[in-house]
Amino acid sequence: MAMTPLKILVIDDDPDFQEAVTAILKSASHKVVSALSPAEGKEKVLSEKPDLVLLDIMMDSLFDGYSLCHAIKTSPEFAAVKDTPVIFISAVKELAGSRYQFQSEEQGLTGPDDYIDKPVKPEDLLARIEKLRKK
Amino acid sequence: MIEQEPLVLIIDDEESILDSCSQILLKSKYRVETASDGSSGLQKIRENRPDAVIIDLKMPGISGFDVLENLRSIDPQIMPIVITGFATVDSAVEAMKKGAYDFLPKPFSPDELRIILSRALEHRRLAREAEALRREKKLLEENFITMVSHQLRSPLVVIQQYFEVLLAGMAGAVDEKPREMIRKAGERLQGLLNLINDWLDLARIDKGRLGDKLRAVDLGATLRKLIEFMEPQAKEFHVSLEWDGPSGSAPEVMGDEESLEQVFTNLLSNAIKFNKPQGRVRVSLKEEPEFMTVEIRDTGIGIAREHLPFIFDQFYQISRREGKKMRGSGLGLSIAKKIVEAHNGRIDAASEPGVGTAFSVRLPKAESKRTPD
Repeated sequence: MAMTPLKILVIDDDPDFQEAVTAILKSASHKVVSALSPAEGKEKVLSEKPDLVLLDIMMDSLFDGYSLCHAIKTSPEFAAVKDTPVIFISAVKELAGSRYQFQSEEQGLTGPDDYIDKPVKPEDLLARIEKLRKK
Repeated sequence: MIEQEPLVLIIDDEESILDSCSQILLKSKYRVETASDGSSGLQKIRENRPDAVIIDLKMPGISGFDVLENLRSIDPQIMPIVITGFATVDSAVEAMKKGAYDFLPKPFSPDELRIILSRALEHRRLAREAEALRREKKLLEENFITMVSHQLRSPLVVIQQYFEVLLAGMAGAVDEKPREMIRKAGERLQGLLNLINDWLDLARIDKGRLGDKLRAVDLGATLRKLIEFMEPQAKEFHVSLEWDGPSGSAPEVMGDEESLEQVFTNLLSNAIKFNKPQGRVRVSLKEEPEFMTVEIRDTGIGIAREHLPFIFDQFYQISRREGKKMRGSGLGLSIAKKIVEAHNGRIDAASEPGVGTAFSVRLPKAESKRTPD
């Protein structure tokens, strides 16, 4: 059974990272839409209605990523796309044994469906995307 | 905010003293509040937060000494000056011990009052400036560390990401030789990232950031979790991990769980990596009267006696058997030691080449106040 390619929105302010991740996603035949800022990301979620969102939480301020995710999942403005799976990408150092706690929970924000550290292992990223494929 | 004249509170049961002192101070443009006994004096201190307080030592009810003691716990930066009626050295000395900045023996002249007060206020000003500078310095250091961390890591992370994509063949087919070179470049890069992470850890611990992160930690739970986490690595090296400690809860230690996890992960990782095939690593947790002791014992290649005293030094690395690339930064153990010592604990190593090594970490129990000697 062939998996239909997904349209994936990558929100990250680093164009080099965008290039690298795009290569990974394209190798699995996914279609990639890029946004280089939280604002552009917000706009494109609404206009492109992607099947999945990859969101870098270290852009500008840490809060932008968290609040955008929260908005997508809970705000009336995003009602049409509220079921879109969101994966956080983070450049924060992975601490052995203890994962980086979602500050979003502490601040009462709705968190992502999954998270992955930079640099991403290509196969790992693709596997996580498959897991979150919308029914 | 408009700078106001300093506020001075006078506490004395004698009306005449209150009046005369008020007049003297008002003339010198100070703002003045008065209270005729200790308890209303303390109330005014809490409400008005004066810059200085002049306290008569001999008062009925709450004495001047009591006011002094309470004042210290309300705000140690309020300058107390005591008026002593006995003009004896003893009461003055006792007052100073209880935190008085200076004393005025009765009878005193207006000038004497003004001079002592102005010195006290100058002292207060300097103390507050020092405190503000200290806080600013700490903030700058913290921001600097965070900034450096981000600046150094970001580009390296991007480079690694490119390597990952190249090695996965997702930017086009890559022949064997270039593939191997890319792989090696990635290893060196990882080594650099490890070094940066470790250096930043050291810098953070140096700045004594533990203080506000201390919580009660159950080392048993922490260690069992880490053992589970390290199983894959142990499997990779054909080493078995054993737990020799309570299966239920253990007496707690006061600590920062995150940094303690870092210590034990480092020790466990070493025990696994420098082990023999089919070797064992035993992690034990024992309770002693004042401490909890963790021991990580391996059946590895051991550490020669001449190296043992230096293994906790920064960058000290012992060259291993050929073929094993040292990807560590050489800082792991020195960081571990710093973390343990920041917890008022102690870390030791004992080893026999060819037989194995045992690292022990002692941490004071949460309910005890003693430090290990």
